[in-house]
Amino acid sequence: MEAQPSLLSRTTGKYRVSVVIDRCKECGICIFVCPIKVLVKSSVLNKYGYHPPDPVNIDKCIGCRLCEYNCPDFAIYVEKVV
Amino acid sequence: MAVTRQIHPLDKHLRLERIPTLYCPGCGLGIALGALLRALDKRISEGAINPDKVLWVGGIGCSSRMVFYVNYDAAHVIHGRAIPFALGAVLANPDLLAIVTGGDGDIAGIGGNHLIHAARRNIDMIVLMFTNFVYAMTGGQVAPTTPRGVSTTTTPRGNPEYPVNAVKLVGSLNANYVARASVTTPHYIEQFFYKALGMRGFRFIEVVSTCPEIYGRHIGLRDPVEMYSELRKRIKYKHKPSLEEAEIDWERGIVIGEFVERSNPSLIEILKGVRS
Repeated sequence: MEAQPSLLSRTTGKYRVSVVIDRCKECGICIFVCPIKVLVKSSVLNKYGYHPPDPVNIDKCIGCRLCEYNCPDFAIYVEKVV
Repeated sequence: MAVTRQIHPLDKHLRLERIPTLYCPGCGLGIALGALLRALDKRISEGAINPDKVLWVGGIGCSSRMVFYVNYDAAHVIHGRAIPFALGAVLANPDLLAIVTGGDGDIAGIGGNHLIHAARRNIDMIVLMFTNFVYAMTGGQVAPTTPRGVSTTTTPRGNPEYPVNAVKLVGSLNANYVARASVTTPHYIEQFFYKALGMRGFRFIEVVSTCPEIYGRHIGLRDPVEMYSELRKRIKYKHKPSLEEAEIDWERGIVIGEFVERSNPSLIEILKGVRS
């Protein structure tokens, strides 16, 4: 049976930030590069035992996509909400 | 069970059954791969490149394993011999777009002679060299690009040798495009690779990468974020820098930019008689 990939996704206003939970390796680069500190390490554990980031301050997101560009594991992406 | 449904915008270029990659947490290679795929995606959506004609070739090493994760025709060959394999493929079928990926040990160390002669003959291929300053996959032995004085697994009292400067070496030969980017500037990797995809001849891009697990352990930057921020402080972009500025010096900073741009006739063009 195909397991559905679990997403940690938050939307407000203009942007939606989604984290693919089981791809994250908890390197912390997305949290470091975010210029306005949207992302915070969550308490969720994925199947490899890492804590993926959580976009808690999503209402401040400016959509620069630095987290998406700097993620080494294709685990985070930013979409514009129409 | 791996995540196989496409969710991320780059998932159509990846072999999802092999994701997550084997790279250590915080490895810069994943950032570089994402940037390369964005540039390739842009060229494919413009109609300039046929995805069926793209060939990725990798030798041995962490960076060469990149060809495992891309959803294109790919070959994984013996250590240092990725450039000769790509040369054979391009000569047999000149329509192919050959992309060679490899680390500094694979391209500049073991396959250094192939690099020199491929650049001299201006063969139609793109060579991407990911510099992480050590042989990381085998445990951190000294590589030809290791800076002087760094203690590695095989040089516990500090590296006594001078490193090779691959950008200056290739730039002094007949290569058509020589550039350097860093994983802390993924937009420049994307921009340079996008430009290289639209050119002919030998194109060489060096990507300075972070290796927190192996190289970071040797220089005392074990944390991925710490190593990323230390490298980012040292990266300086220059518009059209000269080859004299290409030296990698951890203290004085690492210059990135497009070092060489030429329009010399490539080997395929000479053989076909298009240009001489």
